[in-house]
Amino acid sequence: MDYLVAILLPQLLHGLVFGAALGLLALGLTVIFGLLGVMNFAHGELYMLGAYAGIATIGLTQSFWVALIAAPLLVGALGVVTEVTTLRPLYHREPLYGLILTFGLALVFREGARQIWGGEIRRVMPPVTGSTDMLGMTYPNYRLFLLAISSMLLLAIWLFFTKTRAGILVRAAVQDAEMLDGLGVNVPRVFTFSFAGSAALAALAGLLLAPIFTVYPQMGVEMILLAFIVVILGGMGSMGGSVVAAFVIGITQSLLTLWMNPQRVAIAIFGIMILVLIVRPRGFFGREGVLE
Amino acid sequence: MRPGEYRALVVFAALAALPFVPGMSRYYLLLAFDALLFGTIAMSLDLLMGYTGLVSFGHAAFYGLGAYATAVLLERGYTSLPLCLAFSIVVVGLYAAVVAYFATARRGIYFALLTLIFAEVIYTIFRYTQTFGGSDGIQGLPDAHFWPGVPIETAMQKYYLVLGYLVFAYVVCRVLVASHFGRVLVAIRENEERARFLGYDVQRYKMVVCVISALLTGLAGAIYPMRSAFATPDLMVWTESGEFIISVMIGGIGTLVGPIIGGAFFTILRDKVSSYVDWYFIVIGLVLIFIVLVMPKGLLGIRRLFRRTVEA
Amino acid sequence: MKRTLWLAMVVTVLVVASLALVGGGTFAQSKVVKIGDLGSKVGVFEGYGKQATMAIQLAVEELNAKGGVLGHKIEIITEDDDTKPGPSVRKAEKLILQDDVKLLVGAVSSGATLAVMDVTKKHKVIHWNAVSCAEFMRTTKFHKYYFSNQPDSRMQANGLAKYILDKMGKRVYIFYTDYAMGQSDGRQFKTAIEKLGGEIVGVAGAPLDTKDFSPWFGDINKTNPDVLFVAFAGTDSLRLMTQLHSFGMTKKYKMAGIDCFLLQADLPAIAEPMEGFVQLNHFSPYNPDKDMQAFNAKYKNRFGTDANITSGSYDGVKFWAAAVEKVKSFDADKVSAALEGMCLDGTHVGRQCIRKADHQVVMDMHLYRIEKGKNVPIAKIAGSDSIGEPMVGKDPVEGFSWEIKKKK
Repeated sequence: MDYLVAILLPQLLHGLVFGAALGLLALGLTVIFGLLGVMNFAHGELYMLGAYAGIATIGLTQSFWVALIAAPLLVGALGVVTEVTTLRPLYHREPLYGLILTFGLALVFREGARQIWGGEIRRVMPPVTGSTDMLGMTYPNYRLFLLAISSMLLLAIWLFFTKTRAGILVRAAVQDAEMLDGLGVNVPRVFTFSFAGSAALAALAGLLLAPIFTVYPQMGVEMILLAFIVVILGGMGSMGGSVVAAFVIGITQSLLTLWMNPQRVAIAIFGIMILVLIVRPRGFFGREGVLE
Repeated sequence: MRPGEYRALVVFAALAALPFVPGMSRYYLLLAFDALLFGTIAMSLDLLMGYTGLVSFGHAAFYGLGAYATAVLLERGYTSLPLCLAFSIVVVGLYAAVVAYFATARRGIYFALLTLIFAEVIYTIFRYTQTFGGSDGIQGLPDAHFWPGVPIETAMQKYYLVLGYLVFAYVVCRVLVASHFGRVLVAIRENEERARFLGYDVQRYKMVVCVISALLTGLAGAIYPMRSAFATPDLMVWTESGEFIISVMIGGIGTLVGPIIGGAFFTILRDKVSSYVDWYFIVIGLVLIFIVLVMPKGLLGIRRLFRRTVEA
Repeated sequence: MKRTLWLAMVVTVLVVASLALVGGGTFAQSKVVKIGDLGSKVGVFEGYGKQATMAIQLAVEELNAKGGVLGHKIEIITEDDDTKPGPSVRKAEKLILQDDVKLLVGAVSSGATLAVMDVTKKHKVIHWNAVSCAEFMRTTKFHKYYFSNQPDSRMQANGLAKYILDKMGKRVYIFYTDYAMGQSDGRQFKTAIEKLGGEIVGVAGAPLDTKDFSPWFGDINKTNPDVLFVAFAGTDSLRLMTQLHSFGMTKKYKMAGIDCFLLQADLPAIAEPMEGFVQLNHFSPYNPDKDMQAFNAKYKNRFGTDANITSGSYDGVKFWAAAVEKVKSFDADKVSAALEGMCLDGTHVGRQCIRKADHQVVMDMHLYRIEKGKNVPIAKIAGSDSIGEPMVGKDPVEGFSWEIKKKK
């Protein structure tokens, strides 16, 4: 019992916290994949830009909360510009071009950030400080806050996709954009809107994780592969699948650390992933024939 | 000999004369080594990208594995060049066969992502276990030997080693592309279904070209520690694979020679700006975006575009 | 048409290559000597790299004000090594082969410094290490041109282990950063603690530049040690301490750390998590020692901030200049011979002497407890007590095992 509370419970919480944040990052990625067939290499850079936009806003307003609203808006706006100028011309081309294009975008964003803000590691003070003692263990309030806000965001996104017309349109576009076009919907606008939303989500994740992970230009490069794995595991293009996979990875990772060095866990996660892909080549919830 | 081959001969002869250019320091020879090595890798990748229409985001793993194969032998005192190359072929070949088997079963973006994931597995293993030195890698390697008693120690020897390898790899690629096998690859790129209906075992062709491209990259990796005296996991990080792709795109996809120049150009640019302000990466990123956007059609498009601008 | 394309490309390459040659060619200015400053200028150890650059700058300004060395003005060439062995080797080659530096100071990360040692050995260049502390540098990797005034892992472990066992507790957990430096500290510290009769209850390594340390905390809590010994540096230390604190672990365990754990400049920002932390340092601006105070005043006057342990690179330049003046030559063999056994006054900690056998400066170290963001000196460890026998060419970790010996 002691073991359960003192050791197992905190690990489970770590898993949930990390899984929720990862879910936010992966969700935007999978929506874009479903829509454009492009695995967005620049998603990690949007995540990074979110953190920097947050720092800039905090510098101006001294408020983390204002930054939490401003950062996704700013990065979302950048998303609109990026989508219209670079991705839109590629709609009818092979998705491979999009893949290479986003690699170029990632390079430009990353080095641009280095030019503007420098390569130094920056810290963001958590808006929620202190720790809570519960069930005989101490857990930092900010991580609890992170879990709460990420879960609320995930819930809000779920409501958006199921209850609002805009959300249903996006989901329809993920399924079959041509059909939607036939129905007279302005599909490019749906795409642009979705890309902006995906960028804003990445930015939110970036700023929310900044107080824990610190901020530096390469932070996206380090996160993006994990997000890729989540998307592939969940089934590419499946939004629910991505969220499930994010929690599965978060929890597996943190529970495994009880029995092995976390460095080995990183390898184990890949091992599990390859096994899953051999058994279920399309991930947990992947549909057959999506962009194959 | 066809005109193209004459020109290649002239270029290789010019490269062979490079060490005798006045003012050529040891440092520039080593830089030339890096440039040619990077170029060779880009050319091997072009075999996949340009001729088969497959984009691999995992070539860094072949490169890194080749480097580690040599490093492990050198570290233990086996300094024979043929032995190192043979061992790299075995190591990279086995890994490439597995990757090719799984990756070629899927097309397009899935192929890219599967190669990426496999490469990341290799990177993670080398980075996070201490068996091969962890993040510090294997350092302080002794010089390799052409054969017993003849060490590869001077910058010039190293340069000729890589130049020799470049010529070898170029000939392999040229012969391959001109062969029946190469024409089938192009047919697969142009229309996979039709190639299949014509009775070709498409996946087998893809697997074979994947392994060949991987081996050429792996051998380049095997040569690298003979110049650098180290192998670290950073050689196989996924952004390295991205840089190979950029080199292919900048140099001109599906031209074999273009990627060599693209790779060399990329290396020189990266090295010349030696301060820690990497603004030139923005330019490289923008060039890449430009190339992707203005390419008229098909992976061959860029070549056509180049032709048109040059002719105009 | 294909020919034109070819020509266009070949011309491009030639132009680039020639630009490279022209740009790189040194316009021979007589009477300038270059020294290389290599290290982590951005990233996890940027604090150390930038401060080392400042210390080198201070030394060069002082020397140049007096006419330089052997009548040559000194010019510093600074390079970032990305904190990785690979780039550090390439940058070292660039500094030596292209810039022709006569002294190379660096690097920061032990992994990088070990890799650079191969280059300085091969090309015969005086190499001064003022920050890295892996145990292999003055043992298996040692070479004629390598010198150091940074107390290495062995010295630090000998200095710290006794105090921990006497004053803090017998059951120790070692948490280290999993590359050359942390592994070295972990090994030497485990050896020292076990030799003195303490118990190591757990060991764990986290990769360099880890962002979230919480996955490792479960194992630490499971073993419930008296003392948590941490061998980290740079922003890793900052994140680690912040996270340990938020999980209530800085209050639960007594904490101790290595020489380069945190720089002075970072302390005030995380004063609360660091409260009561015992740190080993060879230099601190809070030490009342008059030599340190004098140096710190000079440094602060020039840069507006306190000096720190990386100021050893100031000494490196001064030592090299003194040796060059002594032998009236930049020849590495002669300078190396002159440096062996040399003593110098006015370094950042007063007088320093280089031990001939392994080119290591025998340096006193101090233990500090951190109180309200300041280092309070609590003990002094004489350099002669901690430096140990010279072990050039011998394996310093022979017979070592990470295995935990269970005590009944």
